[in-house]
Amino acid sequence: MMRVLVADDEAPARGKLQRWLSEQPDVEVIAESEDGLHAAEAIEKLKPDVVFLDIQMPGLSGLEVAAQLEQATAPLIVFVTAFDEHAIKAFELNAIDYLLKPYDKDRLLKTLSRIRGRPADGSARAAVATARAQTQSHDRLLVPVGETLQLIDSATVEWLEASDNYVHVHTAARSYLLRRTLQDLLEQLGDRQFARIHKSAAVNIAAVKAFTPLFKGDYEVQLRNGKVLRLSRRFKEQLFGRMGR
Amino acid sequence: MAVTHLDLAADKQAAGSRFSRPEIVLFVLWGTFWLLMLAVAIQDYVRNGGRQVWQPILWEVTSLAVATFWVVLQRRVHRRYAAYLDRPLLWIGQHVKWLPLVVLTFVPAVYAIRHGVYALVGQAYTHEPWDEVLIYESIKLLLFCGLWVGLIYGFDSFAQAQEQRQRLFALQKSLAEAQLAQLKAQLRPHFFFNALNTISALMHVDVPRADRLLARLADLLRATLQWSDKEITSVREEIRMLELYAQIMQERFADRVTLAWNVDNAVLGGAIPALLLQPLLENAFKHGVERSRDAVRIEVAARRDSDRMHIAIRNTGSLLAADRHEGVGLRNCRERLTVLYGDAARLELTQLSDSVEAAVTLPWQEHRA
Repeated sequence: MMRVLVADDEAPARGKLQRWLSEQPDVEVIAESEDGLHAAEAIEKLKPDVVFLDIQMPGLSGLEVAAQLEQATAPLIVFVTAFDEHAIKAFELNAIDYLLKPYDKDRLLKTLSRIRGRPADGSARAAVATARAQTQSHDRLLVPVGETLQLIDSATVEWLEASDNYVHVHTAARSYLLRRTLQDLLEQLGDRQFARIHKSAAVNIAAVKAFTPLFKGDYEVQLRNGKVLRLSRRFKEQLFGRMGR
Repeated sequence: MAVTHLDLAADKQAAGSRFSRPEIVLFVLWGTFWLLMLAVAIQDYVRNGGRQVWQPILWEVTSLAVATFWVVLQRRVHRRYAAYLDRPLLWIGQHVKWLPLVVLTFVPAVYAIRHGVYALVGQAYTHEPWDEVLIYESIKLLLFCGLWVGLIYGFDSFAQAQEQRQRLFALQKSLAEAQLAQLKAQLRPHFFFNALNTISALMHVDVPRADRLLARLADLLRATLQWSDKEITSVREEIRMLELYAQIMQERFADRVTLAWNVDNAVLGGAIPALLLQPLLENAFKHGVERSRDAVRIEVAARRDSDRMHIAIRNTGSLLAADRHEGVGLRNCRERLTVLYGDAARLELTQLSDSVEAAVTLPWQEHRA
């Protein structure tokens, strides 16, 4: 059974998709979302197999929602749009599924049959990567706050701490726990602002105050908030090179 | 910049007559001036008991001939000095540096011709000694040159200013047209495809509603095509476009938006730039309705206040920090107002207690179809 989430801010548009998808014996529409934030929450909570994601939505656009997903665990995404020249070009280039409004039933069925034949992982990865390239996804980070998700400015993040498949996102005010790998999060945030300092930690370069040498080429990283972290040899060269030392 | 400027001016003149209108006026003035000089010279000669009237005519004509030679020469090369027109002292300096040559050639040329003609008719041309002649003629020539260099400067800078004004006007007009084209392009794709999708969705559940929406969309498309070339339209037309647009948007977001129209009948006949309000209403939908999950109320209000017209589009909600920088729509609106009305029109975006208001103030003008 294919578990599908439909996200579109227009009721008639959701109705159309819902009706046609429900006619398919192997498809179950598990939820509908009226805006981007709700869609992101539903993806997080319900883990659908496929998301029909309208690009033009209040709060977070469809592209922004996709950009905030973890590449390895993201559902298959079908972007839906009325007109978005840039995005469509990128979708074509990266073989990402999309529907152009208005579409007919044949077009939807074609998309569905293509999805059925897709390996789940590879194409979801491409969709997230393309969405990140199309948006300013390194500036904003979607974090869980209680039962809901909230957008924070990534500049407020001081450092990131990995434990297993989770990442603690530390800001001056508080910490958030994200179910993502550090690797994936750093790919989203980009290497302009954040740098890895050892296997399970990364810092916001702007939050760094000083380095203190230790034995065997390791260093201590002192953050402006007083926190002291370890910089391993492996990441030293890279970080110093970027900080112009 | 100066070079293209000159080339353009030269092209324009080559295409039309050989002389520009200010130039023709200049030569008419030149001719009149010399007729007066001639009349004065003849009168003076006759009053002093002269009998041979051809003599003063010869004197003036020889002066006229040599002076005209220099003026024609100046007209042939005057474009070379056009770049200095904005700096009068430099322009005059560029002319004054030729003055010694003018003086040195003028006196010998004029007197040589006069002596020649006198000799031909078998008479002798008698005048003051050469040193006195040279001083007397030089002073006369200096005054004369001062007068005419000043006059020519006036004419040339007037011509240049007029040309610049025309170019600026053309530039502004093309700018306004380009912006209108851009607006229309902006309006179409997203909106039309979304509306088509809504119809495509509605027709499975509510055929009369789908049909109604299709008719509205056709009306809007027709109106868009019709006013395609008009820069200015009537408030009536502009409001009708807004209504068509709003009706379609309301079908799409029926559950989330209510509209109120408070348009005073007195403003309907007013003139307004076509599609000026469209981006403002679009913004109200985009920032008000499409960004919010709550129900939004949009109000369009228009009224006349003696010689001014006030139009406001309000939507409940707040100016988000991210929206503070003005979007393309708002900027376009503002630029069009500036191009068309200068400082006489205003567009202001303000946060009211519970809503955002885009307010346009225009000078009142009756629309003539």
